[in-house]
Amino acid sequence: MGLKKYLTFTRAGIVESLQFRSSIFVTILGNFIYLIITYYLWKAIYASVDSKVINGMSFADTMIYLVLASALFYFMEVYLVWDMGRSIQTGKIVLDLLKPIPYQSFMFWYSSGSCLMSFIITFLPTAVLVYIVTKGAIHLGINLLFFMAGVVLALLINYFINLIVGTICIHTESIWGVNIMKEVIVLLFSGATIPIAFFPEKLRTLVFYMPFQAIYNTPLRLLITPNMSRQERLQLLLIQLFWVVVLYGISKLFWNISIKKITVNGG
Amino acid sequence: MKRIRFYLRIYRKILAQDLKSKMSYRADFIISTIGMIFTNVAGFISFWVVFQNFPSVMGWNYHEMLFLYGFSLIALTPVQCFFDNNWSLRHYVYSGDFIKYCFRPINLFFYYMSEVFDIKGLGQLLFGSVTIIYAWNKLGLEVSVIVLVELFIAIITASLFMIALMNAAAATCFWIVNSGYVMVTAFKFKDYSRYPVTIFSPVFRFVFTFVIPIAFISYYPSLLFLRSNTVPLLTWLSPAIGVASFYLSYKFWMKGAASYSGTGS
Repeated sequence: MGLKKYLTFTRAGIVESLQFRSSIFVTILGNFIYLIITYYLWKAIYASVDSKVINGMSFADTMIYLVLASALFYFMEVYLVWDMGRSIQTGKIVLDLLKPIPYQSFMFWYSSGSCLMSFIITFLPTAVLVYIVTKGAIHLGINLLFFMAGVVLALLINYFINLIVGTICIHTESIWGVNIMKEVIVLLFSGATIPIAFFPEKLRTLVFYMPFQAIYNTPLRLLITPNMSRQERLQLLLIQLFWVVVLYGISKLFWNISIKKITVNGG
Repeated sequence: MKRIRFYLRIYRKILAQDLKSKMSYRADFIISTIGMIFTNVAGFISFWVVFQNFPSVMGWNYHEMLFLYGFSLIALTPVQCFFDNNWSLRHYVYSGDFIKYCFRPINLFFYYMSEVFDIKGLGQLLFGSVTIIYAWNKLGLEVSVIVLVELFIAIITASLFMIALMNAAAATCFWIVNSGYVMVTAFKFKDYSRYPVTIFSPVFRFVFTFVIPIAFISYYPSLLFLRSNTVPLLTWLSPAIGVASFYLSYKFWMKGAASYSGTGS
């Protein structure tokens, strides 16, 4: 079976992420503090206006959205740009390029391991907690299935964006700057810090034409919007699929051009 | 006095070396600067988006919040510019290179921090200054020599809190492995310093005032200008608390450095 050789990389990723247990603890603690601050901030914001629902979102909706968005963020964070940038700078990338498997798929399967781990460690507990605290504000039904499909597509979109940004490092030799630009843009325009429903009309239209909102906003909408028609759900997934294909194409093309330029000093 | 002049001269010399070495990676420098501007612009956009929907938060209007925001950006500039080498501390400690700092006849902490000056922070300073001047104008606040001196002192003392926090977070690497996550978590707090501490419940108000003192980065000092009729005692005490925090973090950092035994290589 062809998949088996790839799952070996997944396993290696899992084992590696288990090495850093204390970091998982600090990350969870940091996330917890972030959630507390977000909670009070939005509570204060909602307390300052008369209407309970703003832009179609109540305080509870906003909170659920933001909590799950931050959990999704921790789950999808792959540090791919850092890994690629560093292995380009140190020259380790040569060893990865020599492997009898395309570099892109090697990195994908390798990072899938740590993604799987953080899904179990951060996202699942958070989602269960939200479900219990809100006493079932998340509807359990067919939407879960669409959500899972949305998450997988979002993972791919996120991966290809990271791959494109990582490839930029071949040209620039700057990791920090390139990575921070990517992070800032993705976080803002994906709706991870502020729900996209709050954006002013023009900005929302602009955001709609970008791939970033398909990473966090789409899966979350598939999960928490009640009574979404099947047609609308499929439409959201199709848009995601469109971005997967486009970004895959761009990343492949960009990589093939860039790899010819790579220079590694000795080693 | 003579000692201070001596240290200033050394700082200038080390700084010049650092800038020269940075200039040899020009592309990296330019991209990092653009990245910093991106961070500030994006932070401002999210701030602006929230206030498009909500005219005020807990009695603080848009321009007052903008004041807090600009103030926090300026107060966070020194930690970015002068203490950025904290981020590399754990790498030096693990690789054993830290030992080179231990053999210099000047203050260890000073020498270590002087080695890096992060120019990117100046973009943040500019961004914060424009924001605070705009808010100052819109709020129609008084402009006089005394107020400007007060503002200057307030900003300097406010900056000490974040410096202290980052020193302490960085120094944890002398004792624990993987302290990078401690630093990332501590650094995130800066994003919350720009909100009035009154939005939190009493427990967290206490925590953010006395345990993780981020309320001093923008909220308490800003009261001096925005709520000049009811300035709490903590605002007046904040310079003293700031200096004390910095001193404690410095002692903690030095204690870690003193316990450093090298890697033997």
